[in-house]
Amino acid sequence: MTNHIIVVGAGPAGSSAAMGALRAGAKVTIVDRKTNVGIPVQCGEAIGKTGPGVAEIEIPEESIRAPVRGFRIYSPGQVSVDYATKEPSGFIIDRRVFDKELFARATEAGADSLLGARVLDVTRSNGTIDGAVVRYNGQRQTLKAQIVIGADGVNSQIARLTGLRKAYKPDDIDSCFAYEMANCNLEVTDLMEFLLGSEVSPRGYIWIFPKGNGRANVGIGIGGGIETKTAKEYLDHFLKNHDVAKRQLNDAKVIETRVGALPVCGPNKVNVVNGALLVGDAAGQIHPITGGGMGYAMVCGSIAGRVAAESAQKETVTATNLQQYEKEWRKLYGAEFDQSLRLRELILQTEDATLDKLANIVTGESIVQLTAGKKVKIFMKAMSTGDRKLITLMQELRKLRMV
Amino acid sequence: MPPTTSTSGKKRDKKLADVDGELCGVCQACATVCPVNAIEVTESYIKILPEKCTGCGVCVKVCPVGAIVLIDR
Repeated sequence: MTNHIIVVGAGPAGSSAAMGALRAGAKVTIVDRKTNVGIPVQCGEAIGKTGPGVAEIEIPEESIRAPVRGFRIYSPGQVSVDYATKEPSGFIIDRRVFDKELFARATEAGADSLLGARVLDVTRSNGTIDGAVVRYNGQRQTLKAQIVIGADGVNSQIARLTGLRKAYKPDDIDSCFAYEMANCNLEVTDLMEFLLGSEVSPRGYIWIFPKGNGRANVGIGIGGGIETKTAKEYLDHFLKNHDVAKRQLNDAKVIETRVGALPVCGPNKVNVVNGALLVGDAAGQIHPITGGGMGYAMVCGSIAGRVAAESAQKETVTATNLQQYEKEWRKLYGAEFDQSLRLRELILQTEDATLDKLANIVTGESIVQLTAGKKVKIFMKAMSTGDRKLITLMQELRKLRMV
Repeated sequence: MPPTTSTSGKKRDKKLADVDGELCGVCQACATVCPVNAIEVTESYIKILPEKCTGCGVCVKVCPVGAIVLIDR
């Protein structure tokens, strides 16, 4: 019998997992609840070059809207700090085209697909998952497999059904709202802009990402537990009242509205059980500060697919065998997630006024050096201010030793 | 057993989450935080299962567009 793997979810994680499994010689079926892959878009649409490179999956050329070289962060008091590399380090893409193209490639590489099939349950034999029950065309249908890969997003049914994930607490997720806008008058077209501040976007940030031709992805993520206003209300307030928005988006027109949610509490502690594993948003593989997840999804997806295929071939699909997947992806990103979580906590604990003071003395380059644990001149500058909160913040930032 | 007779949540069980389908963008934020799995997500809409919903209101908090409110049962 050919080794068979079911991938639930046709996003970047699922398509990458499928490709990884196909490369390793498995038979793959991709199942998605949606009938249109890539729609609706629920994302800031930024992707770095590194992830796809490591995953050996090319970013679909036709999905690229604008190359980006770095970021511009506005502190709560609107002090801006730029960080940019000489060459583009990533792209703003069109997720509709991107997801669809990756999915198409996975099918061209040999994956079967079943769209419009919603997972209702998983099947088990002797405590090992050996299939999924879906509703397809109004009928219940059981799909048997040696391994089920849950790449089904933040609200992963596979995560719930396998018992790997309980409900998130509101503060563990960000509640997101975004507009795609035309007729924007952006001050920088190759930097991603971020705006911080408890007034602007409590426990989150506002983003303005350039998409070329005067278009932009403008959105907000706020802490899920924030009850004062909805994400949409915060973003609308920003667009109407904030100087940065007035300068750049005064004449901008909304051409699409988007909603989303993402975990910002770091990856699940465990992502494998007998006969199943989780990858991408379903595994919580999302940067706890930026909310970026596509690169991780592609790399972790490829690893998951390969390990699943190899395990299926050896007919050893226990959690212990699938552990190889956890080992490999954590080796690549485990430290990065841990450090980013600590940095996130640090930012959340810092008052707006202290962030402003920090923004006033740093450059993009020096803050990157500082968080990497290097000696930087700005540290002396901070000491000379005598501001204890600022000095403590900088000491804590230096301790992070980011990779 | 009807939900209103449960001892643990007698008071809150009188409430029920209700979604405005015109505002909802099916982002699933509500479903990710629902502690009792009472929110079913299809391709184009979400459905709150009244027999499971305890009226705790956590979904109301996380909705990015304010599409969910608590109503009386």
